[in-house]
Amino acid sequence: MAAVSGLVRRPLRQVSGLLKRRFHRTAPAALQVTVRDAINQGMDEELERDEKVFLLGEEVAQYDGAYKVSRGLWKKYGDKRIIDTPISEMGFAGIAVGAAMAGLRPICEFMTFNFSMQAIDQVINSAAKTYYMSGGLQPVPIVFRGPNGASAGVAAQHSQCFAAWYGHCPGLKVVSPWSSEDAKGLIKSAIRDNNPVVVLENELMYGVPFEFPAEAQSKDFLIPIGKAKIERQGTHITVVSHSRPVGHCIEAATVLSKEGIECEVINMRTIRPMDIETIEASVMKTNHLITVEGGWPQFGVGAEICARIMEGPAFNFLDAPAVRVTGADVPMPYAKILEDNSVPQVKDIIFAIKKILNI
Amino acid sequence: MRKMLAAVLSRVVSAAARKPARPVPAASCTYCSDATFEIPKCDLYRLEEGPPGSAALARQDGLRYYRAMLAVRRLELKADQLYKQKLIRGFCHLCDGQEACCVGLEAAIAPSDHVITSYRAHGVGYTRGLSARAILAELTGRRGGCAKGKGGSMHLYARNFYGGNGIVGAQGPLGDCVHMCGME
Repeated sequence: MAAVSGLVRRPLRQVSGLLKRRFHRTAPAALQVTVRDAINQGMDEELERDEKVFLLGEEVAQYDGAYKVSRGLWKKYGDKRIIDTPISEMGFAGIAVGAAMAGLRPICEFMTFNFSMQAIDQVINSAAKTYYMSGGLQPVPIVFRGPNGASAGVAAQHSQCFAAWYGHCPGLKVVSPWSSEDAKGLIKSAIRDNNPVVVLENELMYGVPFEFPAEAQSKDFLIPIGKAKIERQGTHITVVSHSRPVGHCIEAATVLSKEGIECEVINMRTIRPMDIETIEASVMKTNHLITVEGGWPQFGVGAEICARIMEGPAFNFLDAPAVRVTGADVPMPYAKILEDNSVPQVKDIIFAIKKILNI
Repeated sequence: MRKMLAAVLSRVVSAAARKPARPVPAASCTYCSDATFEIPKCDLYRLEEGPPGSAALARQDGLRYYRAMLAVRRLELKADQLYKQKLIRGFCHLCDGQEACCVGLEAAIAPSDHVITSYRAHGVGYTRGLSARAILAELTGRRGGCAKGKGGSMHLYARNFYGGNGIVGAQGPLGDCVHMCGME
């Protein structure tokens, strides 16, 4: 009897089951965006938002950018907003600073920051110092951006890191993005900032995809300049870095966590004004510190972090001297074996961490 | 029988191996010994005399320049191939097609004169005295390179040759001053 009633009931259940059927849904794949596309998006959104913003530099318009960072912008905004310049950094950086003084909001692209040395007088003397020298009368809302630091096989004159050089100067803000999220948020904040901002990108990071969180896809996504991000929580040692080496630090931390060492990795995001509070809070928790950067050791970003930690409250919490892992103190050699050993590698970071922790 | 065959064979083989002698007695040479080129007249600015109206090129010199240009061409084509195979990294600025610039320059000056150039330095490095081996070793990052593998394509140096400069325009003031110091 029960079996018969079961037979009768089953088709009804099956019918209602059919009516309840939906399409089989998988969780949406996280959006992957390369650093190049993130910068492109950031600039596109700011160009659209404010008509005073414009981009100038070598090959930015018709060639879509030497590294294709400004792809599609010339087609969308035209000659008046995206401007190709002759090969004269001193010339076009000066023009950009003049435009900023007159009230426009230029983005001045250097093909690499090595070439910004040709124009460094305009960046420092004409842009950085002006707001102070004029007693607050003349702001210079300009953004200098471009790839910084070592690339692959481009030898001495094309591989220098300028974080320490620009970070030294009052009047400038200096940011150094690592991930796509950093890149988009920081370029947008830089463009909206009324001060001269130097954005140190990295050529080797341009093609690297990162997961793009939902809030980063908004047109008003900004990352505040002057705030670091803790990329990975840890308890044994604080590892502070900026730009491409942040990835190496995270890799080193992953390797070491298998041995039971938990590293706290801090992505500085901003070189100047430095977020020393985040680093101090972390050091007070972990009692150990190393800094990692691609630039040369003397008078570098790591040297400044160590000096400030020593001058501040976190010094009393250190159980070992703070140590810097940096690029080798030589002009970048060309031969691959020499070049690979002139930049900090994951094994160098692991070695330094173990040395500090006395393991 | 076998000995005869062997002898014939060896004679045939050695005849084929021997390069046919082609002596060209100078007296009855059917080639020109020199060539004359007309140089188009150009406007002068603050100069009394311009370059001469014609130039004579002796056969020996012509062959020498041709040999040098051919060597540079082959060097550059090989560098191109190595670059595509990723054995040369970073930048590789070639001058195949422009060999006459570096060879002609060298023809007009002495080895004790000073030369500086921009990043397109392979041909000028060769004509300034670097061997093809030294240049290719430098391009492939080897210790035997002219800069011990530390400079790369744009940073070739030789005696009285000040590079190879990577920054566009940097060679201008450098070269001017090298010249001025040389004038003392």
